[in-house]
Amino acid sequence: MDSELLLLGGSLVAVLLLVGMTWLLGFRQQARLDSPAEAAELVRLAPGGFEPVEVAMDLEGKAAIARDRDGRLLVLVPHGNRFVARPLPADCSPAYKDGKLQVSCEGHPVTLDLGAAAGDWTAADSAVN
Amino acid sequence: MPFDPVAYAIPVFVALIVGELLWVRASGQRQRYEWRDTGISLAFGLGSTVIGAITGGLTAGMLVWIHQQSPLSIGWAWWAWPLCFVLDDLAYYWFHRTAHRVRWFWASHVNHHSSQHYNLSTALRQSWTGFIALGFVFRWPLAAVGFEPGMILVCAGFNLIYQFWIHTEVVDRMPRWFEAVMNTPSHHRVHHAVNARYLDRNYAGTFIVWDKLFGTFTPEDNEDRIHYGIVRQLGSFNLLHAVFHEWIGIARDVWQAPWRHKFSYMWREPGWSHDGSRETSDMIRERWSRRENPEG
Ligand SMILES: [Zn+2]
Ligand SMILES: [Zn+2]
Repeated sequence: MDSELLLLGGSLVAVLLLVGMTWLLGFRQQARLDSPAEAAELVRLAPGGFEPVEVAMDLEGKAAIARDRDGRLLVLVPHGNRFVARPLPADCSPAYKDGKLQVSCEGHPVTLDLGAAAGDWTAADSAVN
Repeated sequence: MPFDPVAYAIPVFVALIVGELLWVRASGQRQRYEWRDTGISLAFGLGSTVIGAITGGLTAGMLVWIHQQSPLSIGWAWWAWPLCFVLDDLAYYWFHRTAHRVRWFWASHVNHHSSQHYNLSTALRQSWTGFIALGFVFRWPLAAVGFEPGMILVCAGFNLIYQFWIHTEVVDRMPRWFEAVMNTPSHHRVHHAVNARYLDRNYAGTFIVWDKLFGTFTPEDNEDRIHYGIVRQLGSFNLLHAVFHEWIGIARDVWQAPWRHKFSYMWREPGWSHDGSRETSDMIRERWSRRENPEG
């Protein structure tokens, strides 16, 4: 029993040291998209499939939003230094606020700075179907 | 259990993770690790050893009982060791294949796959609920044909240890003869990928030959950038959510489904639904190939 407790205690210390080392070495950067092409690739991996006809990337690559042929929207939200694709429910309408696009539904609030070339990603436009 | 090789391997695991961390940091690839992701993976590993210590006696006891009922007894002959290891690896292949194709088993095994990273810390991402998922039954045939329970468990331990080092992107390809016979980082990267054509491929533990034999082998293609994780990514660093999300999903589906479909939400493949509203990996692969070859 003692040797088992020693093993457990030692392992716990090792876990804390490894996590601390990972943090200290700087493995805690924000996720960043390199290009709209990368965003489109990630969008296509979304559960159920998503074929984007339009993709807009945050100026700094911190997030992206995509639309498919049926007007459905999907956002790429950062999770650690990776991205997670989340389709937006039909009743979720992003809105521009202070020049930035804000998505505040689906439990994954995300703000995208789309810059001057920003298309219209608000609900009125997405209802093309 | 008198001898547990995994306990002795832990310091080596730690040293190799430190080595990989320094290596990828020095080569500037700071996306290869994420400190919270590593924390979750290591917590999985630590927790699974604690649960293993609790359930290990029961698992071993069942093997002993089966061995006693069997008219066959191989004993501790030296040649039984390599034979036991190879057959245990075959049993692992079928366990692992079932773990991906039957949702009840997947609910536990998904723990190993839910990281979006692929590094040595991912290897320690071991399930907490394997006992509930009944994965241990796959080793019963070995005891039934006469292998010593102690030998089976030691072989299983060495199999687990072998699988540690293949969880890395640092190693590209091993020599050709090695890639042909053994499970390698390249083969196992395919197994952890969510790219449509890689889904549910390369179930091997130690020897990749089982996948080639049973038609589940797909080689890694350097053209296709691999994305790791599960089809519906967790998007959370909550440990308890990571441990139980699929069990909760099963409970919800069984509760909501019509009576004649309830059981199917436990034993059918992950992604199966009675109304076709979700996708299995076969459906994802088919959709993908339709997109790649619209003609066909
Ligand atoms: Zn697996
Ligand atoms: Zn693995």
